[in-house]
Amino acid sequence: MKLRRAGILLLALHLGSAGCVAAQEREQSASDPNEPQRLAMVRLIRDYGVRDPATLAAMRSVLRHEFVPEGYRRRAYGDHPLPIGYGQTISQPYIVAYMTETLDPEPGMNVLEVGTGSGYQAAVLAEIGCQVYTVEIFEVLATSARQRLERLGYTNVTVRHADGHYGWSEAAPFDVIIVTAAAGYIPPALVEQLKPGGRMVIPVGSVYGVQNLILVEKDASGDVRTHNLLPVRFVPMLKGLR
Amino acid sequence: MTRYARPLTVTFLSASTLAYEILLVRVFAIEQFHHFAYMAIGIAMLGFGASGTLVALARPQQESAARWFAWAAVLTPVALVASATLVHQVPLDATQLPWDVGQWPRLALVYLLLALPFAVAALAVLLALTLEPERTGWIYGASFLGAGLGAALAVAVLWIVFPVRALAVPALVASLGGMSAVPVAATRKTPLKGCAWGTLLLGAAVFVEPLWRLDITPYKGLPQVEAFPDARRVAERASPLGWVVAVDASAFRHAPGLSLTYTGAFPRQTALFVDAEIAGAVSDWSAEAAARAILDWLPSALPYALGERREVLVIGAGGGLEVWNALAHGAHRVKALELNPELVRLGGWSDSTVVGSPQAVEVEWAIGDARGHVAGSRERFDLITMGGGRAYGTSAAGVHALNEDFLHTQEAYVSYVERLSDEGVLAITRWLTVPPRENVRVILTAVEALRRHAPDAVAHGLVVARSWATGTVLMKPSGFSSQDVERLAAWAEARRFDLDWYPGIDVPATRFNIMDEPVLYRAAAAAVAGSDSAERFAAAYAFDVTVADDARPYPHHFLRVGSLRSFLAGSRGSWLPFAEWGYIALLATLVQSVVLAGLLMLVPAALRARGAGSAGWLRLVGYFTAIGLAYLAAEVAAIQQLNLLLGHPVYAVAAVLTAFLICSGAGSAWSDRQPATRGWIVGAVLVGMLMLCAAQLLALIHLLQPTPLPLRVAVAVAVLAPLAFLMGTPFPLGLRFLASMDTGAVAWAWAANGFSSVVATPLAALIALEAGSQVLFLAAAAAYACAALLHGGFSRLGSPGV
Repeated sequence: MKLRRAGILLLALHLGSAGCVAAQEREQSASDPNEPQRLAMVRLIRDYGVRDPATLAAMRSVLRHEFVPEGYRRRAYGDHPLPIGYGQTISQPYIVAYMTETLDPEPGMNVLEVGTGSGYQAAVLAEIGCQVYTVEIFEVLATSARQRLERLGYTNVTVRHADGHYGWSEAAPFDVIIVTAAAGYIPPALVEQLKPGGRMVIPVGSVYGVQNLILVEKDASGDVRTHNLLPVRFVPMLKGLR
Repeated sequence: MTRYARPLTVTFLSASTLAYEILLVRVFAIEQFHHFAYMAIGIAMLGFGASGTLVALARPQQESAARWFAWAAVLTPVALVASATLVHQVPLDATQLPWDVGQWPRLALVYLLLALPFAVAALAVLLALTLEPERTGWIYGASFLGAGLGAALAVAVLWIVFPVRALAVPALVASLGGMSAVPVAATRKTPLKGCAWGTLLLGAAVFVEPLWRLDITPYKGLPQVEAFPDARRVAERASPLGWVVAVDASAFRHAPGLSLTYTGAFPRQTALFVDAEIAGAVSDWSAEAAARAILDWLPSALPYALGERREVLVIGAGGGLEVWNALAHGAHRVKALELNPELVRLGGWSDSTVVGSPQAVEVEWAIGDARGHVAGSRERFDLITMGGGRAYGTSAAGVHALNEDFLHTQEAYVSYVERLSDEGVLAITRWLTVPPRENVRVILTAVEALRRHAPDAVAHGLVVARSWATGTVLMKPSGFSSQDVERLAAWAEARRFDLDWYPGIDVPATRFNIMDEPVLYRAAAAAVAGSDSAERFAAAYAFDVTVADDARPYPHHFLRVGSLRSFLAGSRGSWLPFAEWGYIALLATLVQSVVLAGLLMLVPAALRARGAGSAGWLRLVGYFTAIGLAYLAAEVAAIQQLNLLLGHPVYAVAAVLTAFLICSGAGSAWSDRQPATRGWIVGAVLVGMLMLCAAQLLALIHLLQPTPLPLRVAVAVAVLAPLAFLMGTPFPLGLRFLASMDTGAVAWAWAANGFSSVVATPLAALIALEAGSQVLFLAAAAAYACAALLHGGFSRLGSPGV
């Protein structure tokens, strides 16, 4: 009898909690009309093969439309890059999610991002709980990203207007480095500032063409290896190679 | 005087529109990307055909036609200025076209604005033809002559002024056309004359102060580097080979594929851009001598690990990075080949005051086409090296897919290998894409070249190395010894580069740069095993990596037509990593031009109803369509092959195009003296000549490549002149049959020919890409055969009211 009563109590609590979550979702949905689009975007990313719960949760939480110029907000949740000025883009959501999953960031990790852009990637990493240091060479972009991230409440992101070639020695070493503006070479300072056991990911190439993703891993002895990553969603195209 | 007025007007107008087309391609290639320029202007050329449809529907009487002619001539310069000005006001972001439907109306507006001057000028030419039916050959010949002169003018102008100002020149030329039309105007001449003078002033004013400015897409390298904090443009040069700009910026660094284990200093560098895309860098070694060590940590330094290379040839030397590499590794003599003299000049090699410090070293520079230079040389080198050159982005995005490149064909590699000393090495470094394609093609092409040169060398003559970003292929006809391999392996290991292939390797040995599949190993293994296995490997590969040759010189084209189905089946954006923009733009141009040409021909014809759809109308349209297709196909094939013979991609194309059009003009004028019934004979002769070109021209070119330029020019003229001369005759001969008919028949013929020429341009490029120039010659022959057959029936038809 006691057990049954306890069960009813648990069920009531559960229902109450579920009701509370649903109410929260409704509240959030009411306050953010973009949420359905964002959830659809995350479903798409998951369908393409990104499985890491932390990455998906972060992609669900970050308000991507806030990182997109006014004129493009309508298309903020489409799976494609969008211009943010100075020839820079906010990467397509899948690429952001894929790179984040590849880096396998954990709460509390020290992360360096080279190429802040709009600040979206930094927000995703911050949402996971990382301490993010991000460097942007274009001052206007650095300033606007800093203001945007502050406005959205990301206190664990520090933005600096600087040349990413030198990394961020005061905050080094980093567990994870993400370079979003590679130019055919990887700055030696970044390799140096990567912790033994750390991971760095670099998309090389044209944002409207090939995104050749490269993962650099530093082992415990400090030796580096690279992996040419093949985005999983493109595998069906490559039957001839397999 | 009035006898010459219309041909003179037609000459000026044709010169202005052809010059505008060429200059517009240059400007768009700088502002956007070359493939977009190709598409936008390709579609705009539909304006030619549209003028035919307009006249076919309106059927102006003689007096109206004369009045329209004069006004069209006078308005052409206005249309040219309006087009260039307004098209620069359209806020089009071409990169958003795949997923933003809002960009499509803007693209349509760009098409319309670009088509406007072509339509107005073509209207004048067409009306001139209808006004003087007894002199169609003369009038059409004048059009050919003008087009030929316009091509030469465009190239000449690009030497003198920057592209933005050059775009005003066609309006000036067209205004002369307007003035020469005044004497034959069937209208009040005073206002017309005033307008003509006004357009001349307009052209001059726009030349002095252009109403437009270069609006470069922010996604190109130049605007991005110029936006760096302390960036400063230090030099700028213009020529038909491209707009070269040098930019100093402390945050700019160029070290393609630099080893991850390099921890030394970087030199201060000046970025070099051609058409706003990165083309190399000039390094200032004097500021920090220790930075020169970086050269030995670049993948392209691999061949120096074999030991001293005393005599080095650098192909495509650009700003001179590979030249410095050779010097840093102790080369005693360096010969550097570069097509663009402005890159050499800005690199400080010939004018040390321009950029960076004086390059006080002995380097022998040869400006010109590397292929022609190597073919005519008897020198031998210990190392011939070809670096990556282009920016990664453009390389990987396939924007160069349509570019002919005779430097990376099988025949080219054979010619390089023949210039190696006994222990000489050929080294080719290219960017690595995922999945690999350019590196795979280089391996297959290199091994086939080695097999042709020395079949026994294949087993021991190949090494393939890979960094995190590049692939390097080494070929050594005398074979790599075990000591050679040990040296290369030690050098590569220190830099964390992998050796994917070397003599004696039996399993893939990737250690540092991991790929999902050992593709380069497999490609090398298949190539070394034999030609058959290499072909099987290429056939099974997801991309087109077949060996490029001189008949199909497109080593940067990888996309298979079959892959497009996968693109379309996938969700939006999923095809991005495989997109080869040049090829996609070509297909888009073809599809759009076919659809639009069909609509602009068939819908008005259906609306008009009278005659349209009848056997006579179809024959007429069929004949003029066939000769339009044939002319373009033969012209493209001839230009491609003679480009190899003459050895310079810009001057050769300009010279061949000019000569081709002028000879065709002469043929057209000559046709006035021939009976119109001879059209089928001309067609039959052309079929024979084109089949001969398909079978023998390339072999003749290979035979003549080492000979002096005057002889090659003489042969080019001997081949070209009779062919182009005869190709100028079918159109006026066909029109003469229509002399007895109304204006509408001539206009339909003009429209069919204009539209088919537009469709033929991407179609010919597609055939050349997929099947090569020999097949293109055969396609042209087939089209002339069809025209000859239709001409027979067409001549029997010959009754008014078509």
